[in-house]
Amino acid sequence: MTRIDALTGNECVAEAVRLCSPDIIAAYPITPQSVVVEVLASMKANGQLKSKIVDVESEHSSMSVVKGAAMLGKRVFTATAGQGLAYMYEPYFSMSTMRFPMVMTLACREMISPGTVWCGLQDALSVRDAGWMQIFCENNQEILDMVIQGYKIAENHDVLIPMNVCYDGFYLSHQTERVEIPDQEQVDAFLPPIDLPQYLDVNHPAIVDPNTVGSYLIRYREDHLKCMQTAKKVIREVNDEFAEKFGRNWGGLIGSYRLEDADYVLVTIGATTGAARVVVDAWREKGVKMGLLKIRAVRPFPEEEIAEALKGRKAYGVIDRSVCFGWNRGIIAMETFAALGKAGVCLPGLSFVGGLGGLDLRTEYVDKAAGMIVEAAKGAIPAGETFWMNEDFL
Amino acid sequence: MNTVDFLNSREDLLSPGISACQGCMAELSLRVILKVLGEKTVLVVPPGCMAGAAVGGWNKSLGTKIPAAMPQLGNSASMLAGIKAAYDLVDPDVHCLAYAGDGGTADIGLQALSAAAERRDNIIYVCNDNEAYMNTGFQKSGTTPHGARTSTTPVGSVGRGKVNFKKDVPMMMAMQNTAYVATLTPAYMNDFVEKVQKAATIKDGLVYLHVLNPCPTGWGTKPENSIAYARAAVQSRYFLLYEYRNYEFTVSAPTKNIREPKDVTEFLQKQKRFAHLDEQDYEEVRRVVNSRWENLKKLAGL
Repeated sequence: MTRIDALTGNECVAEAVRLCSPDIIAAYPITPQSVVVEVLASMKANGQLKSKIVDVESEHSSMSVVKGAAMLGKRVFTATAGQGLAYMYEPYFSMSTMRFPMVMTLACREMISPGTVWCGLQDALSVRDAGWMQIFCENNQEILDMVIQGYKIAENHDVLIPMNVCYDGFYLSHQTERVEIPDQEQVDAFLPPIDLPQYLDVNHPAIVDPNTVGSYLIRYREDHLKCMQTAKKVIREVNDEFAEKFGRNWGGLIGSYRLEDADYVLVTIGATTGAARVVVDAWREKGVKMGLLKIRAVRPFPEEEIAEALKGRKAYGVIDRSVCFGWNRGIIAMETFAALGKAGVCLPGLSFVGGLGGLDLRTEYVDKAAGMIVEAAKGAIPAGETFWMNEDFL
Repeated sequence: MNTVDFLNSREDLLSPGISACQGCMAELSLRVILKVLGEKTVLVVPPGCMAGAAVGGWNKSLGTKIPAAMPQLGNSASMLAGIKAAYDLVDPDVHCLAYAGDGGTADIGLQALSAAAERRDNIIYVCNDNEAYMNTGFQKSGTTPHGARTSTTPVGSVGRGKVNFKKDVPMMMAMQNTAYVATLTPAYMNDFVEKVQKAATIKDGLVYLHVLNPCPTGWGTKPENSIAYARAAVQSRYFLLYEYRNYEFTVSAPTKNIREPKDVTEFLQKQKRFAHLDEQDYEEVRRVVNSRWENLKKLAGL
């Protein structure tokens, strides 16, 4: 029986991990993710969690421990945020390029400096080219559902790539929402046990991850990138199967709201999507065909879906909670521009950067951005401009 | 069975012949350790001499007859902890062994090692101490001794080699009550083999073996003298052989039985890395060597 509860995003992660029952968990607490580690420890203490927990002293070690366990084909889990992800970067890159599947949740956090512990997507998005899949969630239910889906996608033998399930720190990690928690039988029926070889087998000696010549390495990379493209199909299929079995459809690589006949499109990622839904409704009431495109997958990047979703519109604007240094834009804006350019889809697009360091991305800000998108369609604002949602924005 | 017969009776699990530099003690030590632990062993070797030479393999073939994995430089202990956690679900009797250099141990890997010891992960962690980052061209490490010339502590009109003293990692590991700590060197093979055999029986935590392996290439010594230098290091008390378990220190026979210690110059002289040292430097080394010995005696109740 599905249980209905009021949980924070962090608690949703722990519930989902319990249901997926990894063999080994190693995680180091860091704001704003700490509650994930605390709840898992408490589940273990209460006999509700089968997994072995290795209590590590750093994120470098958490990823190293799970990488070691993955060498024996085990299901593993870790979670981190911000500086922890930065500290973990070395084994993080190696985990994906060894093609060990796992789920790691990120309670996304702004990067230092200046000193901050608050929300931002800069941590996850800065490592979008480290070989992992990255899915961004809008609410707590989506977090819970994506951890479960994440294992199924990552462990698919045509994929074998680890996945980050990312969610806005504090805004989701600490916010309580109504969630539906599936029961163990439902999850077991959806998520088969991990089925991978034991690479470090004393009966079949092999060397794992030795120095490798470039002529081999380039083939590994080529295969990795191809499988990342295959993952698009698998993400959609797993989404559809999940929707059928659990009754919740998150859209796969992208989500949308009142997009079908929209002239103007707000493009969002993560929890900001909630504010954008309210703004879309307000503009629709005024008789303006505003719509919403929610980017769920950043790796693999759904270039085809985005080009298809924006083709034929009058203008769009991307709201980013991160910056793309050297481009004077947000990261998702740059990725979107690239997807449209490749597809030959040409329409005015704006980049809005806001919500950095925990700043609230208020509906007033998103509302003003929507108005500017309408202006851009008329040519009143030059396409490609960047606007900073700071205190002077309104 | 004596040590020679015992070792002869055991299968050699490492590359045949010599795959490292002539006179390499690191390869000899690893070969003996693998002979003692046997084929139900999984080996982790971070970047360093043994990853580059003996273990990494040649021409798409393995360098060992047991499975091996290469971690990064700083995560041998943590990655091996994960391997062990997984092996506990498959076959808890498999030895999980790390063979890391002094840089990967005393410097960048120390945090992960200390945490694994605190968790009492049942892994065997061996530090191959040749007193610098030898594989990449003799850069200074935390265990490089005072005065040694390395490529990052050069000798010049002002520089006189490493200014500070060798980091005492085995003592650090003992002080955090690691399940079993021992110091070894291949000049005393009975002692060496006994300690590795004992390591294989420890099931209640992390085993830390600190092996002093003379490195002719890095130390500037003749390959045929490697064992002699290892012996001189012990006989001058430059390198102390002891064990630690359950809050008890035991001084090992080769060190305990020294009647007249040799002067440290027996060890220091003729090594090119120490060629610039003068009597004042020797005196400084004597002072540190004596202090360490006095300290160990107190700890061991001698």
